[in-house]
Amino acid sequence: MKTLRLLVAVSLLGLGSAARAAELNLFAWSEYVPQAVIDGFTEETGIQVNYETYASGEEMLAKMLAGGASYDLIQPPDYIAEVLIRNKLVRAIDAKKLPNLKHIAPEFLGMPHDPEQKFTVPYMIGTVGIVVNTDVVKEPIRGYRDVFQSKFKGRIVVVNDNRELVSWVLVTLGLDQNDITPANLSKVKPVLAEWIKLVKVFDSDSPKTALLSGEVDLGVVWSGEAARLYEEDKKFSYILPSEGAHPFVDVMAIPASAENVAEAHKFLDYILRPEVSKLISDEFPYTNPNLAARALLTEEQLANPASYPKIEKYNTFRDIGKGAAAIDQLVTDLKSAQ
Amino acid sequence: MNGAGRRPGVVGWLMLAPLLLWLAAFVVVPTGILAVYSFCERDELGRVVFSFSLQSYARAFDPVYLGIFARSIGYAALTTAICIVLGFPVAWTIARASETWRQRLLLLVMVPFWTSFLIRTYAWITILKSDGVLSALLQSARVIGAPLELLYTPTAVVIGLVYAYLPFMILPIYASAEKLDGTLIEAAHDLGCGPLRTFREVIVPLTKPGIYAGVLLVFVPAIGMFAITDLMGGARVPMIGSVIQNQFFQARDWPFGAALGVVFTLMFVVSYWILQRRSAAA
Amino acid sequence: MFADMGKPEASRRRPFSGLRALDLSLRGWTLAVFVFLYLPIAVLVVYSFNESRLNIVWQGFTTKWYAQLWSNAPLMKALKNSLIVAGVTTVASVIVGTAGAWLLHRYRFRGSRAIQTLVGVPMMMPEIIMGISLLVFFSTIGMRLGFTTVIIAHVTFCFPFVLVAVQARLAGLDPAMEEAALDLGATPLKAFWLVIVPCLRPAIVSGALMAFTLSMDEVIVTYFTASPGSATLPLRIFGMAKVGLNPMLNALSAVFVLFTIAFVLFSAHLKRISR
Repeated sequence: MKTLRLLVAVSLLGLGSAARAAELNLFAWSEYVPQAVIDGFTEETGIQVNYETYASGEEMLAKMLAGGASYDLIQPPDYIAEVLIRNKLVRAIDAKKLPNLKHIAPEFLGMPHDPEQKFTVPYMIGTVGIVVNTDVVKEPIRGYRDVFQSKFKGRIVVVNDNRELVSWVLVTLGLDQNDITPANLSKVKPVLAEWIKLVKVFDSDSPKTALLSGEVDLGVVWSGEAARLYEEDKKFSYILPSEGAHPFVDVMAIPASAENVAEAHKFLDYILRPEVSKLISDEFPYTNPNLAARALLTEEQLANPASYPKIEKYNTFRDIGKGAAAIDQLVTDLKSAQ
Repeated sequence: MNGAGRRPGVVGWLMLAPLLLWLAAFVVVPTGILAVYSFCERDELGRVVFSFSLQSYARAFDPVYLGIFARSIGYAALTTAICIVLGFPVAWTIARASETWRQRLLLLVMVPFWTSFLIRTYAWITILKSDGVLSALLQSARVIGAPLELLYTPTAVVIGLVYAYLPFMILPIYASAEKLDGTLIEAAHDLGCGPLRTFREVIVPLTKPGIYAGVLLVFVPAIGMFAITDLMGGARVPMIGSVIQNQFFQARDWPFGAALGVVFTLMFVVSYWILQRRSAAA
Repeated sequence: MFADMGKPEASRRRPFSGLRALDLSLRGWTLAVFVFLYLPIAVLVVYSFNESRLNIVWQGFTTKWYAQLWSNAPLMKALKNSLIVAGVTTVASVIVGTAGAWLLHRYRFRGSRAIQTLVGVPMMMPEIIMGISLLVFFSTIGMRLGFTTVIIAHVTFCFPFVLVAVQARLAGLDPAMEEAALDLGATPLKAFWLVIVPCLRPAIVSGALMAFTLSMDEVIVTYFTASPGSATLPLRIFGMAKVGLNPMLNALSAVFVLFTIAFVLFSAHLKRISR
């Protein structure tokens, strides 16, 4: 039966007999790994890269857990990497095979999700912050409290991420953003209920659309979106909220079930090269943890406030386990009540 | 009636087998997996842990979620109604057209939907936004005084939904209307029926199967649709489709998502079963 | 306008004036609906010439995206994959759907109503659930992801549309036709193929069009059942939302639509010429 299935699959693909070259199964964010980087890697090493994509860390997790194909490299966000490590779903990375790891700025190594720096390699850093269309909003906006005022009702866009929303309220109330308890959530509820009423658009995929088309005037969005807005028009300013901002670190990791481990290490070392990392930064204006690559960037790239904001504390998201469901219920409840 | 309604013989069962096997493998089994998941608990990753629990169902019947169900059904019903009104005349006209034009028009109805859904929806956003095409048009025609505030409202959502499902109403009605004999209309006309009466007593009864098919193909999928409501409505109001999807992604609670899915499926199965009995009895 | 339609004499004197008005207004209505259907397509085509890469605000005219389109190998491969999947899905859906509708119409047995309901389930099932449950199923039986799994998934939610469309047509089918064919000595299979199927053609065509459209634009189920080699165009496009849906995608859609419309409008001519 298995042979029959295989035959059918092969004939459907219309392939004859293809030579089994070395391959690498990369499961990463869509458009987070430029084609030029992949092509360059294949040219140099002869390793065929099968690049499968997802649009969010949660999507990646869902497919992996449901039994997706065995991947050799994945790109989880920090809090998902944390829970993958804890559940032994990723394997240790051999740092000796990654000489270019030395280019990574020290503040991005040994972070809370991977304290021993054994399982992950930082890829790109981002933040969630406030974008303001300064042509329309003339007053200074410093933090969440300035954004969520009734005078901006119907002119705000936020990311459609329930955990983000709750974390903003938590830091505004002076609580720990990772402390998801029923007590804290009940404190969050009335504030969030008010904030939600002021929002016009919830959009995680492209909040820049609403801002560029003028439907909203300010918002709390991913730094990548803000950076692209700034590149398009300098009127879009970006600041980290005074109440407390959190960076997110997208990392690369090797799943425990990976088959092509050696190839995975080669790819990791390849993208840590300064000139390759620079190519990634050219395409994606996030914060590059690779100092040698940063040295290769242009003035303009480094001056983008959304790409390289001043981060004082690295208070990243931690895994909250079952708290995620409680958050989802809370926000769904509040949104539905409008 | 001799053509239909026979009991299947050996050959009949043989012919039915592929369909039954397909349904068994790719509909029953996955739904079964879903049902099993809905009674499970979950670990911190969201995966199912095989220990029996009814807590997912307890949550599924919370008024919040029932309200979300109701809202999704409401939007789907409105969309279906508008699609019937907009689509029936179109299906009718195509069915009455000449042979070549019939095929052409049918294809032309579908061709816009061979572009990417996302690009199409962004095009609608461009049209409906405050400084967009429609707004400029209406302002210059002095229909409205200020820029159009249509985007990210329920009206925009309905426009998007009707747009997405209109072909799925037109096509089945066309298939039914196409065989309507033109001479029947002429006969009714000769007997003194006005157009309205002809419509009510000749056309509608004969195209009823097509209309029912259209309703089924629009209403049912539309209940679970949320991408359009999110993109054109600003995701302000949750639909059941997005809530279910959230459980498998952000909320990491697969059993709850499965429970909502089971409730949704049961609602459909029961309603459809009842409808089938009533139409069989009629 | 229709005041004099009630009287038979009047209608004989001017037999089609009322009908004419009705006919014209129906055509006008149809035209209006077609304008509605093609409005975003027109905007899409116009914006394929937009200078801005983010393509949200118009910034100037350029044709560079069309040039870039041809050299974008992954996008072209994704389009090819989409067409392969949609093509095979449509053929399979038509076969399963038509046969299914016919068999359900012809045979009445215990459980036929259950089958009928089961057929409707893939139509209503949220895509996330279908995607995940199919993935769990495939990985449990050890089936590798690829074109086969994607096509299986697509056929599963597409064939009900064909089946429902064909059933609607069968509902009004004259049973005497099949009887006549059988009486004239045709085998049931021949009667089906030579008599019933031609009658069902409009419904089959409608079903095929719906199946093709559904398959071409499907994302979530495809995400869970595809492998990198079988990634379809919608998967690629949805991933690009964060980066900005640059006008190259508009160009791709525009080319596809214009090509198809040209084909539709001129295929009749081509047929005539080739004769």
